[in-house]
Amino acid sequence: MDLLGAYRKMFLIRAAEEELAALYLREKIMSFVHFYVGQEAIAVGVCDQLKEEDRVMGNHRSHGHYLARGGDLKAMVCELLGKEGGSSKGKGGSMHMIDKSVGFVGSTPILGSVTPLAAGTAFERKYNNTGGVSVVFIGDGASEEGVVYETMNLAGLYKLPLLIVIENNLYSVNTTLSERRTAGYDVQKVVEGIGLNYRRADGNDYHDVAAKAGELIDGVRAGTPAVLECITYRHMAHSAPIMDESVRKEDTLDVRKEKDALKRVRDELIAQGDQAGIEAAESQIKAHVLDAISFAQAAPYPAKESLYTHLYE
Amino acid sequence: MSERIIKYTEALKEAADQMLAQDPKMFIVGLGVSYKNGADGTTAGLAQKYPGRVLDTPVSENAVTGMAVGAAINGLHPLVHHGRIEFALLAADPMFTQAAKWNYMFGGGNPVPIVLRINVGRQWGNGPQHTQSLYAMFGSVAGLKVVVPSTPKMAKGLLVAALKDKNPVVLLEPRWLFQLKENVPEEMYDVPLDKARVVKEGSDITVVSYGDGFVAVLEALELLPKDVSVELIDMVSLSPIDHDAIARSVAKTGRLLTVDTTTPAFNVGSEVIAEVARRAVVLKGAPQSLSCPLVPCPTSTALTAEYYPTKVDIVGTICKMLGKPAIERELSFEELHLPPGRTL
Ligand SMILES: Cc1ncc(C[n+]2csc(CCOP(=O)(O)OP(=O)(O)O)c2C)c(N)n1
Ligand SMILES: [Mg+2]
Repeated sequence: MDLLGAYRKMFLIRAAEEELAALYLREKIMSFVHFYVGQEAIAVGVCDQLKEEDRVMGNHRSHGHYLARGGDLKAMVCELLGKEGGSSKGKGGSMHMIDKSVGFVGSTPILGSVTPLAAGTAFERKYNNTGGVSVVFIGDGASEEGVVYETMNLAGLYKLPLLIVIENNLYSVNTTLSERRTAGYDVQKVVEGIGLNYRRADGNDYHDVAAKAGELIDGVRAGTPAVLECITYRHMAHSAPIMDESVRKEDTLDVRKEKDALKRVRDELIAQGDQAGIEAAESQIKAHVLDAISFAQAAPYPAKESLYTHLYE
Repeated sequence: MSERIIKYTEALKEAADQMLAQDPKMFIVGLGVSYKNGADGTTAGLAQKYPGRVLDTPVSENAVTGMAVGAAINGLHPLVHHGRIEFALLAADPMFTQAAKWNYMFGGGNPVPIVLRINVGRQWGNGPQHTQSLYAMFGSVAGLKVVVPSTPKMAKGLLVAALKDKNPVVLLEPRWLFQLKENVPEEMYDVPLDKARVVKEGSDITVVSYGDGFVAVLEALELLPKDVSVELIDMVSLSPIDHDAIARSVAKTGRLLTVDTTTPAFNVGSEVIAEVARRAVVLKGAPQSLSCPLVPCPTSTALTAEYYPTKVDIVGTICKMLGKPAIERELSFEELHLPPGRTL
């Protein structure tokens, strides 16, 4: 396994999000945004198990999923800035990432509703017998929508090649799990009760995510859909780059720093003896991010007429 | 009555607060309503003040709304909050098919005293899935009373009236207006759920609007040539529509313009114009409606700048209808993209 490669992807997501957060604070960026900082090991750990033909869908917090899958950084930043060259031509904004050239087939912010759509992308694979799996990333909050459980049953019944990744960052906005769920709420029992495979991973640990995603995806390819629940920490506030320390319960700033997924992989790489290599990679990626941001800032806005285009194909 | 200047969101909170104090059957449910600044401030502090009666929820709109309908059928008075109209759509069945039909389909005597506060999300960068202006859709469902508060004073009075009503009442609240300020009476008061307001009398043209469209018209009045006399009507209610008030005004002025921020198909303005035509009100020229184009609201400011009707568009249309030259005016970024924070 290429740990440096994984670190590079995680660092790309972190650096891009941090620079974009800083940009949001400096300038009026008119796109509703949710940053992924803290959850990088999940997107990268899962996407590292996928093949080229596999598909990924995401939610309102999908910059990381898009980048982990290899989505175009410049197109992403352009999209946030509402530019013509954006991944959705400026029409979608931050909550609507797409890059079909790398199998990232769309992200949408209506909680839960992307789950059956992802099942549909898996259905198409099965129907056409072309192989390939679909992965959908949703949050712990979204997983409380009824349609998610309906989709689990449907996927199990039709044996769809679908992996649902629940990124459990302990909150829906500022509402904790215990404020939303019964004391005995057991995702594993629910999922296994429906007949799907389930694993729970430490979402702050790249190795754990990668290993468990790998096991589940083997089963998914063989016809048993699955749910991977990853426990993680979102480092920034729900929908803004500012911090929200007063609402944090177990995931205080100290704990988040200590368990930080990037730090863990970085320490491991350093222990293997390549500090200089890591630092070189980091400064190269940072430059790449800054370059994408300047590119997007200078890029043209869509022409007025494009307000009316693309309603139908 | 003692008055003071407060924001639209504060007016909504005050209505809920005063009704919670007087009606022990009332409770509030919705995502984040118990937060310190819950539901954009419209429920701020209420969870602490009324323990056990202001409930945060799992992310489960359909179940939460259905539960509230069931509670209402049995005599409680739920106020359900949905932070965007798109989230409320996940509860389309309990709203449209259960609550709206219950009393009728069981032959009366089965009222559903529920209030749904639903946020219509026009705001910078919210994009196609957070800004749909589905006003007409709610207006078309028999069995719902549908109102749109256009000012802080109306917001408070309409919410109080809704909470006192025995039937399902939907408040569609344009997020765009949340920062508006106005002198609002401190005491509890209600305003009728089914009456339009003539906000300004005039003789040349009747302009009919509601919500953020109404506030755009208010802004337009400041730019209009002084010799143009507009009669401005705030519809207030989309179900039922106060057609009598509108027809009375149009019969006087002989001209009709409707302004709103929905798409132009199956639209509220079309409904108003159709009824004026059915009543054979004599007009001096063809009625017009100003709305958004028939496309989703995009995210890029370069495109939203073109999407919503502005005060300049409204002035231009009025001048054209009266055969006067249009005015030239470039709008600033703030005027185009940031919600109005003015005091009415
Ligand atoms: C159907 C629906 N209801 C409510 C919302 C508002 N909302 C946006 S993100 C969010 C929290 C979601 O929490 P979770 O799914 O755990 O994802 P996280 O933000 O923690 O990544 C909420 C309530 C929404 N977008 N869609
Ligand atoms: Mg969450």
